[in-house]
Amino acid sequence: MATKEELLERMKNGVIEYQEDEVRDAAQQALDEGYVPLEMIMDGLAAGMVVVGELYDRNEYFVPEVLMCADALYAGLAILRPHVPKSTEGLNAQVVIGSIQGDVHDIGKNLVKMMFDVAGWEVHDLGRDVPLEKFVEEQLRTDSEVVAMSAMMTTTMLGMKKVIKMIKEKNPNVAIMLGGAPVTKDVANLFGADGYAESAGNAVSEGIKMIGRLREMRNKGK
Amino acid sequence: MTELTSKERVLRLLRKESIDTMPFFSGMGMLVMPGIEKAKVKFATIHTDAERMAISAVWSARLMNFDCVVIPYDMTMESEAMGNQISLYQDSEDILYPTIPQKIWTDLDQVVIPKNITELGRLPILPKAIEIIKREAPDLPLGCWQLGPFTQAGQILELDQILKGVFKQKAKVEKLLDDLTDMIIKIGQYLQAAGCDYITLREPGVAADLLSPKTFKDIIKPRLTRILDSWKSPKLLHVCGQTEPLLAMMADCHADGLTVDAKCNVRKGREILGPDVLFMGNLDTYKLTCDEKTPKQVVIDVVKDMIDGGMDAIMPGCDLWPAIIEENMKAVVDTTHTYGTKPTHV
Ligand code: B12
Repeated sequence: MATKEELLERMKNGVIEYQEDEVRDAAQQALDEGYVPLEMIMDGLAAGMVVVGELYDRNEYFVPEVLMCADALYAGLAILRPHVPKSTEGLNAQVVIGSIQGDVHDIGKNLVKMMFDVAGWEVHDLGRDVPLEKFVEEQLRTDSEVVAMSAMMTTTMLGMKKVIKMIKEKNPNVAIMLGGAPVTKDVANLFGADGYAESAGNAVSEGIKMIGRLREMRNKGK
Repeated sequence: MTELTSKERVLRLLRKESIDTMPFFSGMGMLVMPGIEKAKVKFATIHTDAERMAISAVWSARLMNFDCVVIPYDMTMESEAMGNQISLYQDSEDILYPTIPQKIWTDLDQVVIPKNITELGRLPILPKAIEIIKREAPDLPLGCWQLGPFTQAGQILELDQILKGVFKQKAKVEKLLDDLTDMIIKIGQYLQAAGCDYITLREPGVAADLLSPKTFKDIIKPRLTRILDSWKSPKLLHVCGQTEPLLAMMADCHADGLTVDAKCNVRKGREILGPDVLFMGNLDTYKLTCDEKTPKQVVIDVVKDMIDGGMDAIMPGCDLWPAIIEENMKAVVDTTHTYGTKPTHV
């Protein structure tokens, strides 16, 4: 038997040091020994990723390291996530995510997706170079609360404005979040989006805030 | 000094000889909407036809008074020649560059570079386009470019696989980069033989916001140097993104000049490089030339500041975005020509 703290530490360090096998083993052990999966995800895997984010900001880690850390995190998530009860807080939210048509940049988008995965959201990833209508269709099909779009180029960014208009016409209660290097808070406002996050780190909290704001507005409207 | 043609001006600058005024030119795409419209072609059709490519390039330069013509426009030619399909977005009204939706190979050791690559896909149209441009615009220097091996690897396989492979499958990544280095040397020589006047090696996938300077030093720099050593002068090296930590190493890759984008601070860059390295860039291709909210005076002031900061020539930090604000684009070119008269270090 390992203590919870030992296992959390192993998972956290495994993510930071991009040791997929180590994370997988620790996650399996945690599960076998009956620890609460959501706690292990948040205080082990996610806590490791927070440190990774700091290392990246300090230029100690670069994108390859972050991607390998993400792989290690997913190795643990694959084991623990199926055992998190559906009713647990946060797990009710769904997000449709993708890189906009004409844009094959998807490294940033995938990191944002990972944060939603960690936070327990149901993620519908449309990939990259996603035709504009596809965002609308997928939102309607899944009834997702949030649509998150990524654009890395100033021209493809303009496509997001069209998607926002299309979605809002069909379903004003969807919260739309934008991100990607050329996108700023001003651009997001101008395009009629509900939220914006500069980096993967704060995408999820922004998503939750957006849903909160929309619920409030809806309740007032009633 | 008497008026030089753009071609004389650029080629003299690249040899560090004295010039009449600073040129506005680039090693990368200089295609703008007015040129595309004047050539009466659709954006989606100019990548596949020598005549359309050439004429849209020449009109772009003529209408905006650029000091160069540059082809091609997209980054998918080599990957396509290896057998990948491309998307041209022929039905879209927006300007969308060709992309590779799905790659035929999934593993590093599957990649096979055909020996006759210059005869495959769209590569054979480049010498034809070069011939047309040389006939139509003999006074303008003609630039061509090749992606560096790392960025090119990301056009052939998934980029995240290459990025991670640097750590996890180092030997395989190095082998692939070596094969691509050979290919890039060959295609560059093919373009030079066809008559391009200067060539740019652009390696945007290795900026210090993606890869560590250490990886640049160990894995990228030796290959960039090998390529540049195999090409004739004049030859430029371009890296996008955060380049300040890389500049000193870039200066040691045997290019005749270095070019960077807006993420590099001009004064800091000049300080790192010292007075003797040709250092060019770094116009923000959205804020200054496409954003309606940027007043013309701001554009003029920024260009003047870049010149004062020590740029040897003003050029876009990357491919120009075709959807330019004409007035601002012209202000950039005019300011470069009029304000850029003070003698530079050359
Ligand atoms: C890697 C790269 C490529 C790769 C992409 C591979 C891939 N699978 O992603 C390749 C080589 C294919 C490529 C191609 C091109 N590229 Co490119 N590329 C880059 C580069 C070097 C890095 C981008 C990156 O991955 N950064 C790392 C990640 C982690 O950061 P990020 O994407 O910003 O994501 C973070 C945030 O933005 C945010 N975020 C991102 N998305 C979202 C979404 C949401 C909802 C939220 C909340 C947050 C969020 O969170 C992320 C994590 O913190 C940049 C230059 C640079 N150094 O930034 C140019 C750059 C983006 N490319 C550029 C260009 C022009 C091109 C090409 C058009 C070149 C050409 N002529 O063909 C092609 C076009 C391809 C296409 N149609 O999409 C330009 C765009 C200019 C502009 N402002 O419009 C850039 C800025 C280079 C430059 N200096 O000009 N490129």
